[in-house]
Amino acid sequence: MVKLTLRFVSCCRAADLRISTAEVLDCVSQLDLINPLDEEEFKLVLKSNFAKSRREQSRFEQMYHLFFHEMQRDLSRVTHDPESEQIRAVLDMLREEESDDRLGKALTDFLEGDPMGLVEEVHRIQTQEEQASRALRSNMSQLASRLQVMLKINRMKNKILSFQGGNHAVIDKDSSRKINDSLNEKLDNALALLNDEPRPDNYGLKEVKNYDKKYKQVGEVPFSSLSQEEIEEVRDVIWKLVKKLEEIATLRFSISNRGVIDIKKTLRRSGKYLGIPMEIIFKDRPLRKGKIVALCDVSGSVWSTARFMLNILYSLQECFSKIKSYIFVSDMAEVTDFFKNHDVNEAIEKIMNEAPLNYYVPTDYGMAFQHFKRKHMSELDKKTTLLIIGDARSNHMNPQDLILRDMRDRCKRVIWLNPEQEKFWGTGDSEMRAYKAHCHEVRPCGNLNQLIEFIEDLII
Amino acid sequence: MDFQSVQDVMERLEGVKYISSREISTVVFLAQATKKPILVEGPAGVGKTELAKSVAKCLGREMIRLQCYEGLDESKALYEWEYAKQLLYTQMVKEKIHDVVAQTATLKEAVDQIAEHEDAFFSERFIQTRPLLTAIRSEKPVVLLIDEVDKSDPEFEAFLLELLSDFQVTIPEIGTLKAKTHPFVFLTSNNYRDMSDALKRRCIHLYIDYPAMETEVHIVKMKLPGMDEKLLRKMVRMVARIRDLDLKKRPCISETLDWANSLVILQIEDLSPEIVSETLNTICKHKSDYEVVRKNILKVVKD
Repeated sequence: MVKLTLRFVSCCRAADLRISTAEVLDCVSQLDLINPLDEEEFKLVLKSNFAKSRREQSRFEQMYHLFFHEMQRDLSRVTHDPESEQIRAVLDMLREEESDDRLGKALTDFLEGDPMGLVEEVHRIQTQEEQASRALRSNMSQLASRLQVMLKINRMKNKILSFQGGNHAVIDKDSSRKINDSLNEKLDNALALLNDEPRPDNYGLKEVKNYDKKYKQVGEVPFSSLSQEEIEEVRDVIWKLVKKLEEIATLRFSISNRGVIDIKKTLRRSGKYLGIPMEIIFKDRPLRKGKIVALCDVSGSVWSTARFMLNILYSLQECFSKIKSYIFVSDMAEVTDFFKNHDVNEAIEKIMNEAPLNYYVPTDYGMAFQHFKRKHMSELDKKTTLLIIGDARSNHMNPQDLILRDMRDRCKRVIWLNPEQEKFWGTGDSEMRAYKAHCHEVRPCGNLNQLIEFIEDLII
Repeated sequence: MDFQSVQDVMERLEGVKYISSREISTVVFLAQATKKPILVEGPAGVGKTELAKSVAKCLGREMIRLQCYEGLDESKALYEWEYAKQLLYTQMVKEKIHDVVAQTATLKEAVDQIAEHEDAFFSERFIQTRPLLTAIRSEKPVVLLIDEVDKSDPEFEAFLLELLSDFQVTIPEIGTLKAKTHPFVFLTSNNYRDMSDALKRRCIHLYIDYPAMETEVHIVKMKLPGMDEKLLRKMVRMVARIRDLDLKKRPCISETLDWANSLVILQIEDLSPEIVSETLNTICKHKSDYEVVRKNILKVVKD
């Protein structure tokens, strides 16, 4: 039982479930307390020890099914069948022929009931990053690896068939077909493992769809089609909002000086006055000060939203401990300094003219994330809220959404604001569905009303 | 008395009016047997806090609750020195201090003399215990509920680690305080943010989802025995349909109960679209949600 559990654990680890030794120990000791022959209980013990959040459960389910159902079932059938010897011969042949190829070996192991090699290989492919080549952009490297596996599987199927063909004198047609079917079924399972990547069940995802229609006229016009007068009007409204929010923030600050007396500090300060507490120190109530990291897509329609967003964020600088902002098309550039040194509106103009970014390439979210991961990942910590403003239209490039998962692991919240209406998400080249799985919150944000609601949610 | 088996957990929880699934009971049983905390996840209002309360009730233990929020720190969760009391005592025993140092010749000796009595002022007498310390210093085993741990800061989460793995806390002036008895710990989370791996490693994980229809009917029947069975089933079916709509806040079990209760009070016998929209405010807590349900009222009410 322990051995089986350990094999299952290494298989899960190959699929990127983080399981520590302590958890394995716990699990094994708990298995003594239940009836391990009752599958429901057995699975529950494994699940509650190895998948420690709802997000990990879908991957756990996949591994559990693969390991305890597909693999084990086949094993038991093989050992009892009269054809088992024949299957052994086929496997030996495959092992010999594929001995110098990692993928081939992994697949042969899989046929023999040990999925670990293949799981590892599949995980490697799924997390593969695109090569950042400047001249030629493509999303081919992951596809190519996938194709390799598929071709390999086909080749193996052919080999099995021809091996059987050469052997037809020894066994009858019926059992030969049976053997073929069983091996092919397993290879199909291997293919399914490659193709069906379970998306984490993002149950905590906050999806905001309805919003208060506060401003009737100007509030409903998409940012991208505002006329000049309307832009002025929007600026006006934003300015009022900023003032209101600042007031709320300062109110919070002034309350912070009226808490409980901090005796420790008051006593220490009283030393100056011969032990008489002249200065009374209050315990500061912590302000809600978080750090914001904003990533803005600056291609066409998105930029019109992003600029208003940046405008608001920087007008409210006092409410956060730090704001860092980056813009991207396919590369990424930090624009925090522009806002530090200039007035907001001026900064936004300057960014468009001076930021070190190539605006004339197709948008590529995957590449931008990769760039962020390499250069700026250290900006994210558990007090950071990551805002991403973009339409997730990545021109059919590799979305590399697993990088977003890594980013999620490092920060407090990931909020995705999409200027497009919700019904267009996931259509055409939009990768919203892939990215949504890794966000804490997604909301459409294409007009003033939606923007106001979001900002109020963020600050208050 | 401790739980003896999974079946025992299930029956005793039902005895205190908590309907638990096999999954919940198994995890509770394992946690108790291995003395591990349970990390309970799930949408708001599925009975995470209630589970802790019910376990406390059927084990006959006291429940100590710590509600987490942003800015919660050690002095509110664990302990605080009672400075005022210390000051007061120093004033009162001033004379005695004079006596202690009266015999000494040099300043150094006087300081040494006082140092010997330092313990008098930094002892457990002057510690004001907060929920966590109360839980582990309790003579009788308790149930400790750390509610909404996802709302707390990462610092606080880190600080929980020592408590959860070794059931001990370190107070610099005194030393390490070990638990006299093992508390049964529940942590609940609404997934506002992800918990750290270190914390998760120390717990058994349990995910509670919205109950299946039969379970929900069972729950309502138990809390409101007087309700007509046919009406009850119809209502629970509707709540399930409302949960499938695109809402800001989906109705939880307690809201189902509220609704059932108000239907009983109003002596309503059948749910027509009009009656549903009139009583909707017990289950919809946002104006926009209310409008969404009103718009889909026929879909919700259909048999």
